[in-house]
Amino acid sequence: MEPVVPSPYLVPVYIAYAVVSVGLTIGLARVLFRSGAVFLEDVFKETPKMAGAVNQLLVVGFYLLNLGYAALIMKSDGASTAVQAAEVLAWKLGALLISLGVMHFFNMYLFFRIRRRSQLAVLPPPVAPQMRLPMPVAMPVHAAQIAHAP
Amino acid sequence: MNRLTVVYDGACALCVRCRDFLATSRTLVPIELLSCQSREARERYGNVPWLGEELVVVSDEGDVWIGPAAFLVAMWALADYREWSYRLSGPALAPLAERFFVAISSQRRRIASFLTKPRCEDGDVCTMPHADHELEHAPRGTYR
Repeated sequence: MEPVVPSPYLVPVYIAYAVVSVGLTIGLARVLFRSGAVFLEDVFKETPKMAGAVNQLLVVGFYLLNLGYAALIMKSDGASTAVQAAEVLAWKLGALLISLGVMHFFNMYLFFRIRRRSQLAVLPPPVAPQMRLPMPVAMPVHAAQIAHAP
Repeated sequence: MNRLTVVYDGACALCVRCRDFLATSRTLVPIELLSCQSREARERYGNVPWLGEELVVVSDEGDVWIGPAAFLVAMWALADYREWSYRLSGPALAPLAERFFVAISSQRRRIASFLTKPRCEDGDVCTMPHADHELEHAPRGTYR
């Protein structure tokens, strides 16, 4: 068996990849945290603590998914020339950036969805009433017939 | 608005099923369910001409929705279907939804007979003050 010769370019590639991927993830998570806070404060107006908690949990998920994915795609078959090393690095960073982009849009979707839900709760009925009873009818409460929101 | 009263046809098995569905759904506005055959419905909403003919929804402020509009407002009261009530009242889907609700409502006894034997709530057949002559459809609700 031939002894495995470590590729001389692989170590710098790995170091560059690790620095860039961790830096990018941290940077993006901070942006997400800052801008997401605005959205969530609007949604959880009555419970600002809840807004902070949800925001933090979203950012934790973002870190876990991105760092995990970055670690998984780090391994490379080797690079014997400087050109190959640059290509390997570019391919990995490209894959990482695209995954970060997908994650980012997914996060934005979540923020919009959470916000939309809370906005819906205070909107008026979609149709105007066709008729008005002359006086508001006094409504006796029949507990058995009323469906309450839990 | 603090409460909605849904006046359904208690002599129609389909409507009774829908009532059971409403009663067990998560609501954003408390819903009171009243059969149009009940004395209470007649006493409280007797001057709504479409009572017993079409689905009627009344708010605690006296606003009345009839027919397709009533279906939409009932959906609007449900936590899981509020989004759909707006979608179905938008310009793209409103005409379709309206026809669908009118068809369901006018064919309800027939549809119910496919599902199960008719189950009458108060025992007797619904006799409404206006049942002797043909009622025109309620005026269309204006979409917001």
